[in-house]
Amino acid sequence: MNAPVPAQTPSRKRLTWVFWLLMLGFVAWDFQTSAPIDLRDEPPLIAAGSGRVNSGGHCSMSK
Amino acid sequence: MASAQSVTAPAAASTLRSGRAPLSAAIGTAFLLLAVFVSIRQAALFLVGVGLGVALAGCRFGFTTGWRQLVTERDPRGLTGQLVLLAMAAAFAMPLLGRFSELQAALGPPSVALLLGAFLFGMTMQIADGCGSGTLYKAGMGVPLNLALLPLFALGSFLGSLHLEHWLSLGASEPVGMVDRLGAGPALAMTLAALMLLAALARWWVGPSRRWIDRRWITGAVALAVLATLNLLLAGQPWGVVYGFGLWAAKLAQATSWWEPAGSAFWSQSGHAARLSQSLLLDITSITNLGILAGALWVSAREGASSRPLTSRQWLIGLAAGLVMGYSSRLAFGCNVGAMLSGISTGSVHGWIWVALAFAGTLIGIRLRRRFGFDQ
Repeated sequence: MNAPVPAQTPSRKRLTWVFWLLMLGFVAWDFQTSAPIDLRDEPPLIAAGSGRVNSGGHCSMSK
Repeated sequence: MASAQSVTAPAAASTLRSGRAPLSAAIGTAFLLLAVFVSIRQAALFLVGVGLGVALAGCRFGFTTGWRQLVTERDPRGLTGQLVLLAMAAAFAMPLLGRFSELQAALGPPSVALLLGAFLFGMTMQIADGCGSGTLYKAGMGVPLNLALLPLFALGSFLGSLHLEHWLSLGASEPVGMVDRLGAGPALAMTLAALMLLAALARWWVGPSRRWIDRRWITGAVALAVLATLNLLLAGQPWGVVYGFGLWAAKLAQATSWWEPAGSAFWSQSGHAARLSQSLLLDITSITNLGILAGALWVSAREGASSRPLTSRQWLIGLAAGLVMGYSSRLAFGCNVGAMLSGISTGSVHGWIWVALAFAGTLIGIRLRRRFGFDQ
């Protein structure tokens, strides 16, 4: 049986850093290249009872 | 059971104990930035995601592991946790859906795509040792396979969305929502009865004198049910994972010259096209996914996740499984979260079909997992 690799080794830490740098870089790139956010068209904090139908994407959508 | 890449007891935890303070500050800063530059709702949903990540990682709430332990060890504790989660989430969500017209259920169409997708997903999640939420929280905890697998999961989800129309053409009916058809009360009663039937089947399978309750699983179940309900109340839709992955890959593909959303039946729909053009920080599943990653990272600062080293062959198999997981979860209209938890708790019949087929796939996946030596 292979021995477990400890939770934090230098290589795992490096891998985690690379992952987070790529992830944050992707979010920053997306923020820069996407349409500007219209702060005046902010969705309600609580959808329930707001009278505004949700328009988000979900995994269950077929179209 | 020893499992490759599985999350086990903390190892070199004490040295990282101080890591939570800067992470807490970073999460707080992200919350403030989101509140100021995106929207207060998205900032709140980010915190819900962080809570989901903390609950998943802190309680090691793995849907995949729970099913595997039930099958291989006749250990029902993980299943109990999942049944409690489903029952609580349904008890919260169905009355809310009946009361507030703004809230939407996770309604996927019963279809050939669902049958095939759920089966393949159940099979490959055992090989990769993580479902949608499991992959996210283990990636957040720094488990190498899950870190590497996440981009492939996203790519698979995107490819699945490109082919979805063809799979649907093989046969699909309209989504069936029990809350709409029967009302919240009867839908909840039927759901709870079905969950009790599953518990009875499990009782028959595991036999007498088994320990059913584990504090870790129950704590995770209660926390996840409350947070999933918060997600529904705030966002107006149930918790999901896979859509965000597909959107991320679609955004990258759109940045290249080889793909145009207008040529895709799925991404040319107005809602999806709008989400492609706007920041992913406005997307509901993306923001909770980021929160889950952050929450799991926060947990891992004190309770790291050890993993077993994999051979080159196991790496290849694991990564291929991740790609298929992404593809199949798009076909199945969700993973354990979007289809099973959110589907069943909001009264969608597709959630129940998903469970049956994914469990059948899991039975094969467990054998493949053993064959490829992931459990050694």
